[in-house]
Amino acid sequence: MKKIKIPIGPQHPALKEPISLRITVEGEVIKDADVRLGYNHRGIEKLAESRTYVQNIYLMERICGICSHSHTTCFVQGVESLCGLEVPKRGLFIRMLVCELERIHSHYLWLGVAAHEAGFDSLFMYTWRDREVVMDLLEIISGNRVHYAINTIGGVRRDLSEVQKEKILEGIQFLKKRMEYYTNLGTTEPSFVARVSGVGILPKEKAMSLCAVGPTLRASGIASDIRKDDPYAAYDEIPFSVCTATSCDVLGRVVVRIKETMESIKIVEYLVKNLPSGEIKVRAPRKVKEGEAVSRYEAPRGENIHYIKSNGTDKPERVKVRAPTLANYPATIEMLKSGFIADIPLIFAAIDPCICCAERFVEVIDTKNENTQVLTMAEIKKRYSKSQGLKKGSSVWPL
Amino acid sequence: MNQAEIFEKIRTNLSAQITDISMPSPRRIFVSVAPEKLIETLKILKDDFGFYHLSTISGLDKITGFEVLYHLANSFVSLTVRVQIDRAKPEIISICEVIPGAILYEREIQDMFGIKVINIPDSRPLVLPDDWPEGEYPLRKDWNYQPPAETIPGEEQ
Repeated sequence: MKKIKIPIGPQHPALKEPISLRITVEGEVIKDADVRLGYNHRGIEKLAESRTYVQNIYLMERICGICSHSHTTCFVQGVESLCGLEVPKRGLFIRMLVCELERIHSHYLWLGVAAHEAGFDSLFMYTWRDREVVMDLLEIISGNRVHYAINTIGGVRRDLSEVQKEKILEGIQFLKKRMEYYTNLGTTEPSFVARVSGVGILPKEKAMSLCAVGPTLRASGIASDIRKDDPYAAYDEIPFSVCTATSCDVLGRVVVRIKETMESIKIVEYLVKNLPSGEIKVRAPRKVKEGEAVSRYEAPRGENIHYIKSNGTDKPERVKVRAPTLANYPATIEMLKSGFIADIPLIFAAIDPCICCAERFVEVIDTKNENTQVLTMAEIKKRYSKSQGLKKGSSVWPL
Repeated sequence: MNQAEIFEKIRTNLSAQITDISMPSPRRIFVSVAPEKLIETLKILKDDFGFYHLSTISGLDKITGFEVLYHLANSFVSLTVRVQIDRAKPEIISICEVIPGAILYEREIQDMFGIKVINIPDSRPLVLPDDWPEGEYPLRKDWNYQPPAETIPGEEQ
C-alpha cells in the first residue's frame, strides 16, 4: 500500500498549543511520525540573562500556565543552593503545599482532557467542575489562581492562617471523595477502558532509552520520582509512595495520575496538619556568588530541570530550562507508531502537553453610558448570586 | 549505593577518562571529560552506574570557548558531564548511539549555539524557524541581531 504523509497542526483542535505533527500513514495505520517545534519559542533563556534574580522568578513563573509553581520552585531552589541559604521549615512546607495542590489541579485538568479525547465528555465536565475547588484553594493561599507568585528566594511570600488551613482541609475532603469516584469510574467503566487500554504502547526499555519522564515513565513500570530519588524541599520526611502501572498504555497513564492525585491529597493533609511554626523566609542577598547549580523538580508532568550559572553579579550568566513535555516527545513518537489516526489526539493528550490559560479580571462596559469598570471575581460572584437569587454562603454548584 | 560511594567509584573506575571531579552540593556530581572520550565515558556511566537517563544538555558560552554539559541522572545522584569546546572549531560528537533520547537536546544546541553535532541522526533546526538566517546563534554572548524592519504592503514607508 502507498504511504501518505498527513500534516497535523500547528493549529489543531485536539492540541491546544501550537505544535506540528507530520504523520506518515499506510491506510489507517501510522508508520512514522515527526514533531516540529518552535511555534511558541519566546527566548526566555536569553531574556533571563538580562534580568535580575528576583525579576527572573516572575519570568520563570510565566513559562507555563499550569505548572507555574514548578518552574519558580525549581529556579529558586537553584539560586538558594548557590547562595547557601537555608529556607525555614514553615516556608518549605507552604511551598510543598502549593506544589501538591498544583499537582492535584493539573491531574484533574488532565483527566478531563483525556476523557474528552476519549469521547467521554460527562467525565470532562465533572472533573473540570471539581477542579474549581482546588483552584479556589490556591487562590485562598496565594491570591491567584494560576501564577501563584508565592515563591521568593529564601522562602515564600505569604503565610498560612488557621482559617486558611481549615478551608484547605475542607476542600481536600471534597476532592478526595470525588477522586475516589473517578478511580472507580476510570478503571471500571467498560467503554472508557476499552477506548484507552492497549493504545499508545511504550515498552519499559523504550521509555528508559528515550529518557521519558513523569507519569509517562511511571506508567511503563519504572518507579522514578524526583521527590523520592532526589528529595528537594522537605520531601524526605513526608510519607508518600511512588505510583506506577505496568500496562505501558494510556490506561496505565490514567491509573498513575489518579493514584498520584490520591497520594497528593494525603500529602496536603499531612502538610497542613504538621505545619511547623516559625519564620517563612530568610533574607536573600541581591548578588549571587559565582557558581553553578542543577535544580531538579517533579512537576505534574515529570522531571523539570534548571541549570543556573552565576557570575557574582545580580544577574545570572546562564539559565537553562528543560520542561518535562520536551523530554516526552521522543517517547510520544514511539507511542504513535503502529497506532491508528484516530488515536493521535488521545496518545498526545496522554503525555499531558502544556496548555496555557486564564485571565483574572473581566472588563465590563456599560453600553448606555460607556463607563468601563474592572470587576474582581468576588464582585462577579456577588452579582451572579444576586441575579440567580442565591443566598449568601449557598453553593453556586449544587451537587 | 549512596552518593559518596558513587563519587568514589567514579573517581577510581573512570580515572582514565575524567580530568576533574567535584561534588559541590549533596547529590550533585560534576565531572570534566575530553571531547574524544565523551562516548566512552557515557557508555561506562550507563552500563556500570545506571546513568541511562539524560535530563538535558546545556550549552554555555564562556567567550573563550564553549562548554557543553550533559545532565545525567540515576536514582541516587545527578551527574553533570562537562566538555570544553574550542570556539574556532565548534564541533562535538553525537551521543545518540548511547542515549537515543538525546536527539532533541542536540538539535537545540545546534540551533542556539551553532555547535555542530557530528553524526547526528537528524540535523534539522528544532526551535528556530525554517527561514532563520544562517550564522545567527541566539544564545551566544556576542549575538546582536537586528531583524529587518517590518514592511506592510500598501503602507507608505
